[in-house]
Amino acid sequence: MTADPISQFFANLAAPGHLATFEGDSATLRFDVHDGGQIQHWYVAVSNGDVAVSRQNKAADAVIHVERPTFEAIVTGRMNAQAALLRGLLTCEGSMAALMMFQRCLPGPPGSTGRVAPISSQTVMAQRRPM
Amino acid sequence: MSDQLVQILEGNTFVVSDDRGDIEASRTDPTGLFSFDTRFLSRWVLTVNGQRLTALSTDDVQYFQTRFFLVPGSGTVYVDAKLSIIREREVADGFREKLRALNHENSPVDLVIRVEAASDFADLFEVKDALKKKGKYGNEVVDGSLVLRYQRETYARETWISSTESASVDENGFTFNVTVPAHGEWSTELDVVASEGSMERAGARAQDGPIGIRGQGGRRVREDMAHGLQKWLQKVPAVECDWEAVGHIYRRCLTDLAALRFTTLTLPGRALPAAGLPWFMTIFGRDSIFTSLQALPFTSELASTTLLALAERQGTRIDDFRDEDPGRILHEMRYGEMTAFEERPHSPYYGNADATALYVVLLDEYERWTGDTKLVRDLEHAARAALNWIDEYADLQGNGYVSYQRRNQKTGLENQCWKDSWDSISYRNGELPGFPRATCELQGYAYDAKVRGARLARQVWHDTAFADRLEKEAADLKRRFNRDFWVEDGEYFALAIDTDGRKVDALTSNIGHLLWSGIVDTTKARAVARHLLGPRLFSGWGVRTLAEGEARYNPIGYHVGTVWPFDNSFIAWGLRRYGFKDEAACIVAGIMEAAEVFQGRLPEAFGGYPRSTTRYPVQYPTACSPQAWSTGAPLLLLRAGLGLEPQGDNLIVDPALPLRVGHLQILDLPGRWKKMDAFGRGRVDTDRLTARALGGK
Repeated sequence: MTADPISQFFANLAAPGHLATFEGDSATLRFDVHDGGQIQHWYVAVSNGDVAVSRQNKAADAVIHVERPTFEAIVTGRMNAQAALLRGLLTCEGSMAALMMFQRCLPGPPGSTGRVAPISSQTVMAQRRPM
Repeated sequence: MSDQLVQILEGNTFVVSDDRGDIEASRTDPTGLFSFDTRFLSRWVLTVNGQRLTALSTDDVQYFQTRFFLVPGSGTVYVDAKLSIIREREVADGFREKLRALNHENSPVDLVIRVEAASDFADLFEVKDALKKKGKYGNEVVDGSLVLRYQRETYARETWISSTESASVDENGFTFNVTVPAHGEWSTELDVVASEGSMERAGARAQDGPIGIRGQGGRRVREDMAHGLQKWLQKVPAVECDWEAVGHIYRRCLTDLAALRFTTLTLPGRALPAAGLPWFMTIFGRDSIFTSLQALPFTSELASTTLLALAERQGTRIDDFRDEDPGRILHEMRYGEMTAFEERPHSPYYGNADATALYVVLLDEYERWTGDTKLVRDLEHAARAALNWIDEYADLQGNGYVSYQRRNQKTGLENQCWKDSWDSISYRNGELPGFPRATCELQGYAYDAKVRGARLARQVWHDTAFADRLEKEAADLKRRFNRDFWVEDGEYFALAIDTDGRKVDALTSNIGHLLWSGIVDTTKARAVARHLLGPRLFSGWGVRTLAEGEARYNPIGYHVGTVWPFDNSFIAWGLRRYGFKDEAACIVAGIMEAAEVFQGRLPEAFGGYPRSTTRYPVQYPTACSPQAWSTGAPLLLLRAGLGLEPQGDNLIVDPALPLRVGHLQILDLPGRWKKMDAFGRGRVDTDRLTARALGGK
């Protein structure tokens, strides 16, 4: 049960009750996660930064349809949500602005460190043709 | 084969064809119908009785409409044609083409009119880099429509083509067997829709027709576009000037800015400026911000939409592939197949080191003009995150300066400043510094962002502690910068500081942006202004990107010697900021005179040759025209020339205009003062000043 990355993602999202990145924004989203023949629902309500998550199947500003493996990849940072949208792996009914807001809480790729080794002038010059 | 390319566009949908209206693209040839960074038609060829046609004339009716007048045959010698063909094309979510055949004979004529269509569904990146496609193609005739398809896994794109007149449709096109009466006419309308196909929708498609690529089912009404352009032109202030070219340039700029307006799915009904036509019809953080700043005195809509759209996509996580950090403002957004499959990082890509600080600059400047404190409150979180990025994520060397180095070493950008070509940042001797690089203008923008952020914090967000902190940091940055970047023996600011803290000491136009940002000590400003108008940097038309005499100087080198109108417009603003009115007027004169030569449409860049040598500005060969920030340059130059500056609820007008301008008036400048008029008379003898400045050091 705890191994499900989607449940875990939403549990982590709801835990603090408030997310600074959503301040000034309000929207509701429903994720319809298709898993075999079944559809699992997560309902996210954002109100000026306050976040509540439930498993309700009710109307929302944006309804997102996605297959479970795709969504697992997205909530663990292994796939980019915007790229998935362009690929048709994720579809959005209703407010695109709500989806755009939501993607801000998704994690980056697992291997990303934000760091890179400096490169010397000599290396740059060696890579480049002379003037 | 005709080689003249005709481009029409709307939003980010555009058509590039030859002067007959035909499209015959090869994999790397940039012709076709493009939408959302994908080519939806690579072949669109008209024949009459098996013959190709010849263009008599081509007429760009509006930026989204073109009319082609054609006659049968491809002879070089004029044929006494008994038949005319007119193609009227208009871009929407694809395009509509009205095809008319006019018979000039006294008897009816039988014609076989054929339109061939095909698509390679290339991503714009593939067109640039000649890459191979990975998906499958399939064409199909559905209820009299021809559907061209491409599918790679779940990624599907389709082109739907239909005709109002009945035709025999096959998988490669439409054939019309028609009889045109004596002195009569036959016509049909072909409708081409760029569509985001999808397997799930396949069943519903036959009844519903294509789903537009923007997601909406219906087509937009064409009248809206013409109406929209009219409304846009009526809303802006009126410019009148004794120098007739000024009025012409102004109207050209506004029409081009209208064409460059780009609408995102999340902010329907609002427009921001895309970077350039046709290849950069997308959101670029830097370009959209600079263009919005240039246009602010005339229209604030571009600025507010830019601020909202960039906030929506502001970075929130560490993503090395996209060079994303929390608070960072995006560099470039793309929608094509390679972005979809994460073969390119543009979903969006964040690799720039300037747009984040410039974002705060734009927000403050926007409020100073409009008084729209509501937007400043709504975007408080975004602005604070941007200011935080400067200190937390941009100081890569821990030396208190903004630096850049790409983390995506394969498809990321090496130079993350506006001079983004590989050789743009060099020492005097031509050597290239290592990475990270702290270019000087980035420090200026960071300084300005802190100063302006402090004003917003104090006056709008009512956070005095934050304002105090930002002001203290700004003062400290300014003090260190004037010490660490100053090149003593040349009396100017170094282009950058390298990884060893050494000055990258080439003399460049970047010092003009420093004046604009206000980071320059007043004791050093005179020397900087002298360089900007001096013979090494000033060509007579404008300020060169790199000074003559530097090892990499090349008058037709992209960022190493050419003159960029956008660059010059900000330099002129910078000169005004430090009180160098006459010097600013010289730049206003040079760039506006160049604009006159280019018939109102300034190119991205032109040659840095001395004006006395070439007489005319030499256009740099570039793929994009109009370019947004070149289009905006004359607007900012008008502001600089008139010395327009909002001060509280007033608009200060302090003209210093070239003699040639004569009388200039701008009526109904919008702002927090509602409407104001500005008048000025040309009194600065810029010819004499320029000659004197170029005559000797």
